[in-house]
Amino acid sequence: MDFDLTDEQKQLREEVRRFADNEIRPIASEHDREESYPYEVVEKAAEMGLIAPHVPVEYGGVGYSAIENAIIIEELFAVDPGIGLCISGAGFGAEAIMEFGTEEQKEEVLPAVTSGESLLGSAISEPQAGSDVTSIATRAEKDGDEWVLNGSKMWITNGTVGDYFVVLCETDPEIEDRYSGYSQILVEADRDGFEAEKITGKMGVRASDTAEVYLDDVRVPEENLVGQRGMGFLQLMQFFDETRTAIAAQGVGIAKGATERALEYAQEREQFDRPISDFQAIKHKLAEMRTNTEAARWLTYCSAWSVDADPDRATALASMAKEFASRIAVEAADEAVQIHGGAGYVDDHDVERLYRDAKITQIYEGTTEIQKNIIARELLGDGIGV
Amino acid sequence: MKVLVTVKEVAEVGDDFAIEGTEIAESDLEYDLNEWDDYAIEAGVRLAEDGIADEVVALTIGPERSEETIRMALAKGADRAVRVWDDAIADSFLDVDTKVDLLEAVVDEEEPDLVLTGVQAADDAFGATGVALAERIGFEHAAVVNDLELDADAGVANVRRELEGGVEELTEVDVPAVLTVQTGLNEPRYASLRGIRQAQRKEIATKDLADVGLSPDDVEGALTVTSMYEPESESDAEIIEGDADEAAGRLAEVLREKGVEA
Repeated sequence: MDFDLTDEQKQLREEVRRFADNEIRPIASEHDREESYPYEVVEKAAEMGLIAPHVPVEYGGVGYSAIENAIIIEELFAVDPGIGLCISGAGFGAEAIMEFGTEEQKEEVLPAVTSGESLLGSAISEPQAGSDVTSIATRAEKDGDEWVLNGSKMWITNGTVGDYFVVLCETDPEIEDRYSGYSQILVEADRDGFEAEKITGKMGVRASDTAEVYLDDVRVPEENLVGQRGMGFLQLMQFFDETRTAIAAQGVGIAKGATERALEYAQEREQFDRPISDFQAIKHKLAEMRTNTEAARWLTYCSAWSVDADPDRATALASMAKEFASRIAVEAADEAVQIHGGAGYVDDHDVERLYRDAKITQIYEGTTEIQKNIIARELLGDGIGV
Repeated sequence: MKVLVTVKEVAEVGDDFAIEGTEIAESDLEYDLNEWDDYAIEAGVRLAEDGIADEVVALTIGPERSEETIRMALAKGADRAVRVWDDAIADSFLDVDTKVDLLEAVVDEEEPDLVLTGVQAADDAFGATGVALAERIGFEHAAVVNDLELDADAGVANVRRELEGGVEELTEVDVPAVLTVQTGLNEPRYASLRGIRQAQRKEIATKDLADVGLSPDDVEGALTVTSMYEPESESDAEIIEGDADEAAGRLAEVLREKGVEA
């Protein structure tokens, strides 16, 4: 057993860290306050190859596995989760096209996304359908050689900035099987009837664009169906192991970023004529933060490894990593603010931002509660279902 | 045209470090690519991208650890690398003359048309290696170059040099030449993810003293470090921050404190 990263992975980590320090750190607070999308830095990230690096080389990506993705996400989120999400989420939905898309779809969408020319989004949630994905009400009906989509989608990342969306909709309501009858359809944002309204006032990850998307008789050619008709939900389920591992990596990054900031501040801040890092109460906090981050990181790497190497274990490991790392992120950000004291309660120090950003990792891509259900289900051998 | 870029892995220290004898404690050192060399690599890679250079070779003198640094040059686009090291080198303090001995041997073998070096290294900061190498190998040279246009057909490098006192010199240098590169010559890129992947498969040829035709006696430098200490600061510098109003206010306050009256 070997716990060392390869030379390539180490070099990747170092260069992504340099990118995040130089390009993201100086502008993070501004985009957080203004809730503005950082187009420029996303473009620079695309030049470096950071957008959808798991896309195969022939479609403009690097063909990276879940482990390299985790390394990249960790470094970006350690500096700023908001902009980190803009970069790591600029290709949301790419995996559906990679795995199930037609050759034409791959050639049209994937190189455009990896080059930063187009932004992609994945539209699943609805006002009434969050964790309960199969209760979605968005319909797509066949009319001649076109699909006609109607419905509304909620919490859609890249909603107002995206160029393409992979939309989950019901195409075959007559099928009684709970998991069938849904399809994934590629929708271009410039189609008539497509509208997106930015959701403002988010607690955290405010640089990232989130929107409610309205589909009002949106017509797309039948070739825009991604994969098999009626199999959309089952197709979607296949990527949860990867996407949840990615959220775990976000948590690891936030925990790491919080620990680094707390460590630095504790050594600078003096009270009673000595740095507060001399006090055992602070030392223990820092030790716990560091230990938890390390534990979360290796659980995340293990989950990432299992995605390729041991898919039977991947579902449970991904949920464990996601649940644990997101919890550790929230705890570490909380302790980082505590160590900063009053200074951490205002936005002069960016632990305040991390504190707000951390929470979302326990909510999106399956809440903590859903992850625990999955872990228990795998443990008890109940099979599919939540 | 073949371009040789010399790169160095430099040691960096934070605010707190310990001195052990005539050295800074190894545990307080971090290693990174010399900043000036980053600009030299970028210049070399751009010459290749513009179709002027056929091959860009990175050259370093350093222990195995420095392969991490030189691999960054490969990830940014250098085609291959040469690393010179020997236990005998590790035992002595490398002065400029000794470095030039080692570099000269590789230049003789590689026969580049253009050698790019950083103006200086961030650690020992001699700022002499590039020009000393030019003298030794009989190349033209220009130091502190902050703009470069290469006319390959005419065999001339049009360069702008940054001199003291804000003076800049525009000059022509006949190729083959050594140019020592100042920061600001270009904007060094980040290594792309694809570049990082490709770099793992690029060649780093290692050479010891025998390979470059030198003996341990040749690398016994004329310089030895006799002591290492942290100079005591005699006064503090204050950097005034804030907008113009605040900064002017604070400046007036300081001047008044120091006894300057209107």
